[in-house]
Amino acid sequence: MISSLKSSLESTFKDVAVGEPEAGRLSVLAPKDSLPVVLRYLKENGLDHLALLSCVDWPERGKFEVVYVLSCYMPSNTDYASEQRLHVFVKAEIPREHPALQSVIDVFENAEPYEREIHELFGVHFAGHPRLIPLFLEREYEIPPFRKDFDTRQYVAETFDPIPPVDE
Amino acid sequence: MIPGSQPTDTDSERELELYFGPQHLGMVGNFSITLKVRGDRIVEATANPGYLHRGFEKLMEYRTWMQNFPLVCRVNVVEPDSMEMIYAMGVEKLAGLEVPERAQYIRSIYLELARVGSHLFGLWAYSNMLGFDTPAQWAMYHRDLVLDLFEELTGGRVYHIYLWPGGVRRDFPEGFKDRIVETLHSIGGCVPDYDSTFFNNRLFHQRAHGIAKISQERAKALGATGQVLRATGMRYDIRKVEPYAAYDQVDWEVPTREEGDAYSRIWVIRDEMIESVHMIFKLLDAMPGGEVYNRVPNPFKWEIPPGETYVRCESSRGELGLYMVSDGGDKPYRVHFRTPSYPHGLTILEELLKGASIADVGNTMISLYIVAPEIDR
Amino acid sequence: MDRNQLAKWLKSPVEMANKYSLHAVYFCTGCGIIEIPPVITARWDAERFGIKAVATPRQGNLFMITGYVSLKTLKAIIRTYEQMPDPKYTVAFGSCPINGGMYWDSYNTIKHLDKYIPIDGWIAGCMPRPEAVFIGVTHLWTLIDKGKADGYIRYSKNYASYRRNQEMLFGDLGWPPLYPSESPAEEARA
Repeated sequence: MISSLKSSLESTFKDVAVGEPEAGRLSVLAPKDSLPVVLRYLKENGLDHLALLSCVDWPERGKFEVVYVLSCYMPSNTDYASEQRLHVFVKAEIPREHPALQSVIDVFENAEPYEREIHELFGVHFAGHPRLIPLFLEREYEIPPFRKDFDTRQYVAETFDPIPPVDE
Repeated sequence: MIPGSQPTDTDSERELELYFGPQHLGMVGNFSITLKVRGDRIVEATANPGYLHRGFEKLMEYRTWMQNFPLVCRVNVVEPDSMEMIYAMGVEKLAGLEVPERAQYIRSIYLELARVGSHLFGLWAYSNMLGFDTPAQWAMYHRDLVLDLFEELTGGRVYHIYLWPGGVRRDFPEGFKDRIVETLHSIGGCVPDYDSTFFNNRLFHQRAHGIAKISQERAKALGATGQVLRATGMRYDIRKVEPYAAYDQVDWEVPTREEGDAYSRIWVIRDEMIESVHMIFKLLDAMPGGEVYNRVPNPFKWEIPPGETYVRCESSRGELGLYMVSDGGDKPYRVHFRTPSYPHGLTILEELLKGASIADVGNTMISLYIVAPEIDR
Repeated sequence: MDRNQLAKWLKSPVEMANKYSLHAVYFCTGCGIIEIPPVITARWDAERFGIKAVATPRQGNLFMITGYVSLKTLKAIIRTYEQMPDPKYTVAFGSCPINGGMYWDSYNTIKHLDKYIPIDGWIAGCMPRPEAVFIGVTHLWTLIDKGKADGYIRYSKNYASYRRNQEMLFGDLGWPPLYPSESPAEEARA
């Protein structure tokens, strides 16, 4: 399944780079505009489970790397096959200045909270997302806290340490 | 409104906003839902997580590979052991470490014990919420017996930190096998009692049947795993799909149901518990001898070659995944947990609560088996 | 009831009743809550010590802050604490409310809970075992006996300081002060 998927991806999309870093895993680097199309294509070809949507900050390269981890549900009442162990990383690189990406909720509905989380923790904007409101955080942060240039120890020293104990 | 009377004014049609949690008796865990209600029907539900957000994945970037073990187990409080497992699996894969065969068996037994304990906790929460106090008290007592086993093995009641990369911390103490069998027999002997007071109880059927029903198509579209998916008929279980530890060494079945409602989810949990106990007996019989621990480099100077990985295992709530990136240093560069409660507690909960009555909020939440710290991390 | 406590009961029945019927607020603030179900069920049975969970803060007089406190939860804790009637006792459970515990460098958890609300007793450990909870509770009885469990009095006395600390963290809290100015709290008590 892996080799056929790899060749069909390469023949369908001209601008994606497909690699196989280890057995059972494909890594697809797509330009950010064709992400929804690539994801839809993979979904129709059996990779119908969006397990995770993550983001990695690479400050020295000036990029955010957004990672979609796809794997397969099983067709019901079949036996377990080694083909189902496949999973695919779909990646897109976006600049750290004004990072923005197309939302993929219309392809995978469960991407909705993940996109909200990444918007909150990394500051990546997802165009077309219906509610990019805060998910976890109570305070406003100047730098979104999961970026590499946010130093949590310095932040703790500046925020919590100046609060004085209550004198009796 | 008085039962039987017709709504006469517009008041009963007015939309109200209702805050459910975090300080609420029907809420398990520190979580909150904002409900828009008309009468007692829910028009729209908005999950509001974040009360337990500690920024684990950020803190882990500041700690060395080994220092992170005490941290990861605190992500899921009810079942910390599968969190240890997933992190150990991730480190082993990135560093290319092997695990001795005996350690694989010990890991499986340990994880299945944790699953039994976690399911008993879930059974306490669910039956307590429905008002079945007797089985709830039993379930909590039986979970404590499992915790006693953990205490003997690892020294901790709740957090164990027993799994390390390359194996487990120590071998089973003398006579521990017999005590596992004895404890599991005493719990298993009460299954008929649980069945007659709770699972076969007509009240439980009436209260849970048809509640929070989800079809297999919708469950797949919303990213469900674990019992939520298995209650709709799919035999999706990572222990079978991508076997890890010693799960491919013994025979066992994945229990499923067809209806996809709260009733069938709780029955799947019950059947899974029994299957786990049987699996532990089989694993104990087949367990080989030998080492339980492969030496790792000095943890203070341990650097792992650059790379990225995604590993997954089956926690008691569904598919647990870990995406981890190393840049060749002594600390992880980026860690992201895919926790099963995340889609269950945010997307699926919001969908299932639409059109439900206020009385079923707790029922829906607990039958989806949501643990709040897993969502917030 | 201990027979030699009869004199105490006759002298101050209200205080004794308070002491032996601690009603804990049902609020799962952190991971310490995992040890509360065993504590309140058959094996450890907290009702031996007169502890019972109640649904609303309006009926409770014991607030167990179980585990680490994130910023969002702290707001809920302050609201819950202010809604409880006097006399009320707070027990911080686990290492994290004491000094941040293992989350000492987390950007989203507070480090010293006693800067924001008064605490009467601390139970150290991660997790504290059920026995530790009971030792903590019996110790709280001693404190109540000696009049040292006076967190609610300290809260009204130093309310300005507590409120200042809370506002340093949250900016505008969004609800009016419990004790509007410096002195009226004292007058209200008298």
